[in-house]
Amino acid sequence: MKKRKHSIVVIDDEESMRDSCRMILEKDGFLTETAENGSSGLTKVEKIRPDLVLIDLKMPGISGLDVLEKVKKIDSNIIPIVITGYATIESAVEAMKRGAYDILHKPFTPGELRLIIKRGLDRIKLFREAESLRNEKKMIEENFITMVSHQLRSPLVAITQYFEVILGGIAGEVAPRQKDMLVKARTRLNSLLELINDWLDIARMDGGSIVDKLKIVSLEDLINKQVEFLKPYAKKNKVTLSLSSISGSDKALGDSDSLEQVFSNLIRNAIKYNKADGTIKVLIKEEEDYITTEIKDTGIGIREEHIPYLFNQFYRVSRSEDKKQKGSGLGLTIAKKIVDAHNGSIQVTSKPGKGSVFTVQLPKAYNTIT
Amino acid sequence: MENSKAKIMIIDDDPDFRDAVTSILQSALYEVVTAPNPEEGKKKILKEKPDLILLDIMMDSLFDGFSLCNAIKTSKEFSSVKNTPVIFVSAVKEMTGSRFQFKGEDQGLSSPDDYIDKPVKPDDLFSRIERLLKK
Ligand SMILES: Nc1ncnc2c1ncn2[C@@H]1O[C@H](COP(=O)(O)OP(=O)(O)O)[C@@H](O)[C@H]1O
Ligand SMILES: [Mg+2]
Repeated sequence: MKKRKHSIVVIDDEESMRDSCRMILEKDGFLTETAENGSSGLTKVEKIRPDLVLIDLKMPGISGLDVLEKVKKIDSNIIPIVITGYATIESAVEAMKRGAYDILHKPFTPGELRLIIKRGLDRIKLFREAESLRNEKKMIEENFITMVSHQLRSPLVAITQYFEVILGGIAGEVAPRQKDMLVKARTRLNSLLELINDWLDIARMDGGSIVDKLKIVSLEDLINKQVEFLKPYAKKNKVTLSLSSISGSDKALGDSDSLEQVFSNLIRNAIKYNKADGTIKVLIKEEEDYITTEIKDTGIGIREEHIPYLFNQFYRVSRSEDKKQKGSGLGLTIAKKIVDAHNGSIQVTSKPGKGSVFTVQLPKAYNTIT
Repeated sequence: MENSKAKIMIIDDDPDFRDAVTSILQSALYEVVTAPNPEEGKKKILKEKPDLILLDIMMDSLFDGFSLCNAIKTSKEFSSVKNTPVIFVSAVKEMTGSRFQFKGEDQGLSSPDDYIDKPVKPDDLFSRIERLLKK
């Protein structure tokens, strides 16, 4: 890789100083700019964002110390070095206090200039290395769950992909009994994939970073998207699904990725635990401090005694009506964790044999600028 | 069938996934080329000029797919193939979610033409490919 040229701005009112610095630095391969006073120097620093600035302390106009402070403000990564002809301890201390990295005494030899520049650049290099390590570490931490998820899922995905090929008859004809077994095996694999997803969602929640990401979310848009996405699944189960009414504002304060998860889980359940020719209606309404969303189904319902435990991890209701429904018992746990993290609430009322209503309340967004 | 000649390129670091999807695509008479990493992918895109690219989002690094897609769509090096449709393939993106989509765009990266979840269903894959090839 080609290395980027380092850039240096020299701010000094003495022409001979500027010229000699430029000569030495350009010969050493630096991009060099010079300025004869503080204000034009600062303009150049702002424009070029050099790696390093040499500032003469004593100049007419803005003083060297002020220039120094302003350079630090423009970009704290720039290394400022002050040049001074009258090396009093006081001025040196003052310069260091205000953020100078080093001090160069006039008159100096090319060797001294080079040494001091090299020290400054070494520091930049160290700083950049530390920063890139920090960034890498941060990225791994932030995306840890995504990476684990990827590693757990990849082998399963590869296996399932082969099943698709074999079951699709692409690799040759499959005998009926074999096909039967492969279909069952694929179903088990899919539940395992879902379990991993659910479990990772919970891990993600416990990492708890939702609260930092709250934005104004249009629940109408968000739920519409889920409804459209899940319609094929509903149809397969002979259930009608619609977002049936919206009253007032639909703007809640939330993290849209996680809220998608909440409504997806609730609507999936409403489909899964419904009856043939059943319906699901989703209603959004504005209330005093909350936007309330109801997901009403005409399904098999839930008996009273189960209700307190529904949101517990791995809790599933076992009953004859839905023996065939598989699940991890984590969907509602995830939904509740997400809603709680939003300072909202989730509740359920149900009549066995008639249907259930899941109610989600999310904090209302008052600011309407999205 | 006229589209039987379309050339599809699979860029994915999982050899089994490449193998399985190659069979799926070949069964529909597509011509298939594959690459196991972004670097080889880059070379082959320019050499093979595929009609469509199936691109794994996460290969060695978390964002390999994003960078490559962005390079194809915007960099000079790829200007001759910049209109090639790209479908992101991922085992991580949730069926419902748009986690990744948003992240890429948040960082100013150009988005792909479509997304598909792994494992891919043959029919779903074919219909997405056909839709993009028709454009
Ligand atoms: N809309 C609903 N109607 C009837 N029962 C429901 C409904 N939603 C959830 N349940 C019951 O609550 C249990 C827990 O739900 P959930 O946490 O989503 O897990 P899973 O669906 O994987 O079993 C389910 O097993 C089911 O019996
Ligand atoms: Mg569920």
